[in-house]
Amino acid sequence: MEKVIIIRYAEIHLKGKNRGFFEHALATNLEKSLKGYRHELHRLSGRYLIEKFDETRAEEIAFRVSRVFGVRSYSVGYLTGSELDEMYAAVRLVAPETGSFKVETHRGYKQYPMTSMEISAAIGGRLLSERKALRVDVHTPENYVYIDVRERGNALVFGSFEDGEGGMPVGTSGKGLLMISGGIDSPVAGHMMAKRGLTVELLHFHSYPYTNEGAKEKVVQLARLLSPYTQVTELTTVKVTHIQEEIHRKCAAELNVTLLRRFMFRIAERIALRRGLSCLVTGESLAQVASQTMEGLTSSNAVVTLPVLRPLIGFDKEEIIERAKKIGTFETSILPYEDCCTVFLPEHPATRPKLDYIEREEGKLEIEALVDEALGSVERITL
Amino acid sequence: MIYLDNAATTKPDAAALSRAAQLYGETYFNPSARYGGGFAAHKLMEDARQSLLCTIADPALFDLIFTSCGTEADNTAVSMAKRGNAVTTAGEHAAVYESFLQLRARGVEPRFCPLSEDGSVSPEALLALVDEKTTLVSVVHANNETGAVNDIAALARAVKKKNPRCIFHSDGVQAFCKLPFRLPAEVDLYSVSAHKVGGLKGTGALFRRKTCSLQPILFGGGQENGLRSGTENVLGILDFAFAAENFSRLAEETERIACLREKMWAILSEDFVRISPMDGSPYILTVACRAARGEVLQRMLFDRGVAVGTGSACSSKKPVSRVLEAIGRYDRTTLEGVLRVSFSAETSEEETVQAAELMREAAREYRKKV
Repeated sequence: MEKVIIIRYAEIHLKGKNRGFFEHALATNLEKSLKGYRHELHRLSGRYLIEKFDETRAEEIAFRVSRVFGVRSYSVGYLTGSELDEMYAAVRLVAPETGSFKVETHRGYKQYPMTSMEISAAIGGRLLSERKALRVDVHTPENYVYIDVRERGNALVFGSFEDGEGGMPVGTSGKGLLMISGGIDSPVAGHMMAKRGLTVELLHFHSYPYTNEGAKEKVVQLARLLSPYTQVTELTTVKVTHIQEEIHRKCAAELNVTLLRRFMFRIAERIALRRGLSCLVTGESLAQVASQTMEGLTSSNAVVTLPVLRPLIGFDKEEIIERAKKIGTFETSILPYEDCCTVFLPEHPATRPKLDYIEREEGKLEIEALVDEALGSVERITL
Repeated sequence: MIYLDNAATTKPDAAALSRAAQLYGETYFNPSARYGGGFAAHKLMEDARQSLLCTIADPALFDLIFTSCGTEADNTAVSMAKRGNAVTTAGEHAAVYESFLQLRARGVEPRFCPLSEDGSVSPEALLALVDEKTTLVSVVHANNETGAVNDIAALARAVKKKNPRCIFHSDGVQAFCKLPFRLPAEVDLYSVSAHKVGGLKGTGALFRRKTCSLQPILFGGGQENGLRSGTENVLGILDFAFAAENFSRLAEETERIACLREKMWAILSEDFVRISPMDGSPYILTVACRAARGEVLQRMLFDRGVAVGTGSACSSKKPVSRVLEAIGRYDRTTLEGVLRVSFSAETSEEETVQAAELMREAAREYRKKV
């Protein structure tokens, strides 16, 4: 008998002939998430099984599995022989001590000498006679004991189904570039797109020395918190200090943020195209701040041709915060470091800037030269 | 790198460290062990204690309790306010200030004495807050953000005259081995820290007048006469004693350092506002560049090879310093642009001039860009 983790996958079964592609992506992502843990990953029909790991670390491994997109549910259980005694020994480890229970048997190996019902009855009976505080309830039991009799004299025994993250395996829906600040929203946006199978690479803009290493380090931490979901191990940073200084010096103060964002989009697109990524992802939510009005979003979109995905567009701040807490990025997001914009933040930013006004102001700048200069400051940080 | 952030921490004294490391390597035993090695470690530690004591105190009157840092020493001292009220100043380091805020929950009323324009505290203002219910008074010796120096001996004497039963504590972290000073009998407790005088981070100490009762805040194996449990940091303690010994010898440098401070100010005066008083610690010159952000200037300077502080490193996550605000002389625009230059005995005149010129240049560049 050995401890195993049984993994069931989500949605993949809907994908017909592409099934192999999705299964392969899921297996690759599971392997990546378990890097550093001794284990073996095997595919059963419709499931994966993790075996041969250090049993004292089962919880850590299960936690990692729970964060891999495409996993619908998982169970920590036992792989054992299919003799009744062997199965019962495993059942004793997963069964409750008190309360009501039901044994549910699935018999994939149809040549097994007993039927599912007979196995459930035999195991349940033994358990009842040994644990006096237990009672059977086949309709609304408090606890289940699951037995899955397999071929080659094996059985899986487990006590519960734990929810996985669901979604699609990362890497099955193309690649995009997430513009990640140190705030609450962008990590949530990255999480949501990764959940739909997008490979999300990370790009962060900083304006050293107006922002500090603490702010950058905070983004590195956020990126690390995201990586169990996104599988991404690198963060790209670009310095936009000179761009901010030039905008500040030459353009209308109320357009500071609008103009900076247009530069960020241009730079992001150049990097995305260079790396073969097919979309940009941002954490923008309609009307949340001055630059996220319809006019603000339009002015950013106007400088790029790649699609810009904004999964949070219709979310309230509270909803975003709730998600950030759930995925574990909230605490880091609210650390008190300034991100890109605050030193040059105008008192009254324009909320509805007209495109021709923006372009007129922007015309005072050497756009291409500034973009090129910023691209020269690219740094790639391994997470 | 021109290092002018010595009030945040000093470069470790290499000679002291190698001497301490060698002794520690040979005598690594637990000082509480009841065999020869343990006694030897204990003996080394006691020699270090004696040497540190003698630096500023009469060992017949005072003893010394090792702690893990200045903050722990301050917390231990402030925790002796058990009832009534406790008086401190608005110019304290966070270790004392925040400890005082905690007193409220324990039923002790904290009182904060306002600062004079130079950042120090006047005896009248302090005494006005002390009454017969006062159980503890704590006044910083040299302020870490401005360098303002309080006359601890005179303040302690005045306080004791008004209320002889209260405990008088002073945070001496920025003054120890830097200002000429002997602990007078009116001071009961005095906190110091190793890494401000060339020692290692992780070691502090609390001087205690022997007749002053003290209670621990950490409980365990009963080390330090039961006043501070926890296995002693022998390496840190030995290094502290050696470093302080070397550092004290440099006390003669005080005048030279005061000259450096004024030389620097002469270069900065056109572009900066001076916050440090003329008669403050010669080791600290705090200035402000109006309408600039101190933190940004600090990074610009670091990239040009000069390390200076802003406000206090411990509180630099907050935009404006609580202590400088308490002085009441400066508006926010000034306080956002604060830089603290802190010298050491190793600082040369050439470095000082070069750093001052770079500071001036950075301030001008900032103003041009932002």
